Amino acid sequence: MSAVAPVRVEIGAVVTDLEISRAWLVDPASGREGPGEIVVDDGVLEAVTWLDAREAEGVDERGVVVAPGFVDLHVHLREPGNEDAETVASGLAAAAHGGFTTVCAMPNTTPVLDDPAVFERIRAAAAASGSPVRALAWGAITAGRAGKTLAALGELADAGVAGFSDDGAPVASGAMLRNALAYAGSLGLPIVDHAEDPALTAGAEANDGYVATVLGLRGWPSAAEESIVARDLALLADVVRDAPAARLHLTHLSTASSLDLVRRAKAAGLPVTCDVTPHHLALSEEWLAGARRWAWEGSGDPWADGSRAIVASPYATALRVNPPLRAVADAAACREALLDGTADAIATDHAPHASVDKDVEFGLAANGISGLETALGVVLAMVDAGLVPLSRGIEALTTGPTRVLGVPRADRPAPGLVEGAPADLVVFDRSAAWRVDPDALVSRGKNTPLLGRDLAGTVLLTVAGGRLAYGAPD
Amino acid sequence: MTVADREREDGAAPIAVPIVDSPPDEQPVAWRHRHLLDVDVLSWADIELVMRTTDAMREVLARPIAKVPALRGRNVTILFYEASTRTRVSFEVAAKNLSADVVNIAAATSSVTKGESLVDTVRTVEALGAQTLVIRHATSGAPYLAADTFSGSVINGGDGWHAHPTQALLDLYTLRSRLPGEPGASLAGRKIAILGDVLHSRVARSNIWTLTAAGAELWLCGPATLLRGFDAWGVRGAAEGRRFHVTTSIADALRDADAVMALRIQKERMASGLLPSLREYAARYGLTRERLALARPHAVVLHPGPMNEGVEIAPDVAAGTQSLIEEQVRNGVAVRMALLYLLAGRQS
Repeated sequence: MSAVAPVRVEIGAVVTDLEISRAWLVDPASGREGPGEIVVDDGVLEAVTWLDAREAEGVDERGVVVAPGFVDLHVHLREPGNEDAETVASGLAAAAHGGFTTVCAMPNTTPVLDDPAVFERIRAAAAASGSPVRALAWGAITAGRAGKTLAALGELADAGVAGFSDDGAPVASGAMLRNALAYAGSLGLPIVDHAEDPALTAGAEANDGYVATVLGLRGWPSAAEESIVARDLALLADVVRDAPAARLHLTHLSTASSLDLVRRAKAAGLPVTCDVTPHHLALSEEWLAGARRWAWEGSGDPWADGSRAIVASPYATALRVNPPLRAVADAAACREALLDGTADAIATDHAPHASVDKDVEFGLAANGISGLETALGVVLAMVDAGLVPLSRGIEALTTGPTRVLGVPRADRPAPGLVEGAPADLVVFDRSAAWRVDPDALVSRGKNTPLLGRDLAGTVLLTVAGGRLAYGAPD
Repeated sequence: MTVADREREDGAAPIAVPIVDSPPDEQPVAWRHRHLLDVDVLSWADIELVMRTTDAMREVLARPIAKVPALRGRNVTILFYEASTRTRVSFEVAAKNLSADVVNIAAATSSVTKGESLVDTVRTVEALGAQTLVIRHATSGAPYLAADTFSGSVINGGDGWHAHPTQALLDLYTLRSRLPGEPGASLAGRKIAILGDVLHSRVARSNIWTLTAAGAELWLCGPATLLRGFDAWGVRGAAEGRRFHVTTSIADALRDADAVMALRIQKERMASGLLPSLREYAARYGLTRERLALARPHAVVLHPGPMNEGVEIAPDVAAGTQSLIEEQVRNGVAVRMALLYLLAGRQS
């Protein structure tokens, strides 16, 4: 077991004289993983050394792991407008604590990020925070996310947005979405859709199924997501006939049939990508009833066997999320999609909320899970259960999401353990678990159903662009 | 095998019925639940204890002065966030019959209208001396939030679509007293139909747990739009001895039934496209004398109230000789007295 000495510089300072020896290196860019060592000097990854079998004696993938910094396609930083829940500074600090060096913020701020001035404000807040974590952002598709007129797509593209999304307020008009796909395609940027038919989810509280029926919660049907996924794919097929640069990314897909639709669309050659969240991979609707077992341990019936699976109070508002936690079979379908590449990325949908918006009745609670800091632990739970190879989990947190973003740029370099490039990496110890406590979370949003749970994979160090983003205390 | 049968096989201890004239802390009470939030956590022994204690409370109610000093000095606060006459008054009468001090809070007249949160309200009533809190709320699960905050006992007086435990227990008591069978599982083999808006009904959900536990052959019946999801529950329940049947055919549901419970149908259901009209509902699913004739000759009729007479139930059925609707109300007081008593005497 290699020990990693704490890095004694300030957040944002250039990392120098850092050697990590006898660790497990995972480099999805080259497809290589194995025992190795790295040296960072003056912010640059000076050396990446792969050890031979004799040197590697005693080093395995269950100890300290070095990987490229993670990229999150879907976070809510809440600034401007809802700084009680999160700020750009606290969100970037949470990202670094979770091993992320790049995050893409959704535009549902107040005011909406539908104009370059709002983007400038977020960039200024990121710069002022001192964090080296890159804050990318999705611009709105429509002005005010109201679905009526296109936002200033070209100006937003010039300002450097990653693409466009009306996340949480999906574009209702098919005609509007079709135009947006074509227009954004011409700018070289993807459209990100949150697939939800609001008429089917009015008042909905929990996945429409057995658990919601028993708990008396208003059902949130899978069809509300799948019907919009099907519509979006049909529109994409239409658009690419004369606008071949159009790209569609479907975020936080949560049902087996949604993923099947994407699988078939990809097979047919459509330019579509998608992501799944840690919570839809690993949790299920059973948790609403008070079960606390991973989705792969669940039977789908928490009341079976004399309700022995129920270990917590039902209706925990930390579980209220959009899309809702689904059936165990849907979680299995998300993992299957992750394994076969249908899902390109794991994105957290980090949705921090102030306690006043969660310490209320379940039906009145805000939707969302604070997820940046627990994503790695949840992925490692799947790895530990033998469901997902470590390399695939890392890939879905690094090269997967950057492929969705498109051609690498200065503000989003290609992830990889590449000698001579600015160091952009995370170091975590799979053998060290940490307790998810409110005090352990850097995010202002303490709204995670994993509170009180031990997660594997304590992050020791996060370096973004050669500068320190997070260093574990001594 | 029903839940009741399984527990009997497991050799559950005999039920020790408390002497309800005395305060519950002066005698052993074999009750272990701090709150009554749902019936799904009750064992058959728990249910049996409620039934026997209700017998004792009925005996109190039959006295010239229907009052015992059992809960003297205990504060029972009734916090209702939804309009209710029957259930609220029933709890109030029950608490007063046990000599408790009763505080009544209707949410419309409290700080709730000023935006006070449920958590703050519960903290406030606790600071004002509440020891037992009876709560009704339009949101499923709200009593669990109250219970997380409150240091005394919480009784769920009905939450959203989820549960109405005292109603299910009074329905069970009423049915057992009129449909006697073998002791311990007296509804075994009895066909009971619940008719109407099952989807939105906390009464139906709670009755599913108690009636299947008692071994009844339970049928849920209504328009397909108001049964969504229940067939899957009925099939799942089968593995646990909690099977029930779901049908849109009122004839199948009522044929040879021993008991029929009609549920209230609300006008709002038309707006969301769940039903074409109340007229059509009454024509197809109203419990009329003709339809009741499909059931066994002495089948009993229940309704949790309040009724829309002429819609889900015909006036002559509601007021007819087979109707137990008024007896449900009387038993409601006795069941709530039993529960207030048992919760106050819980062994920690």
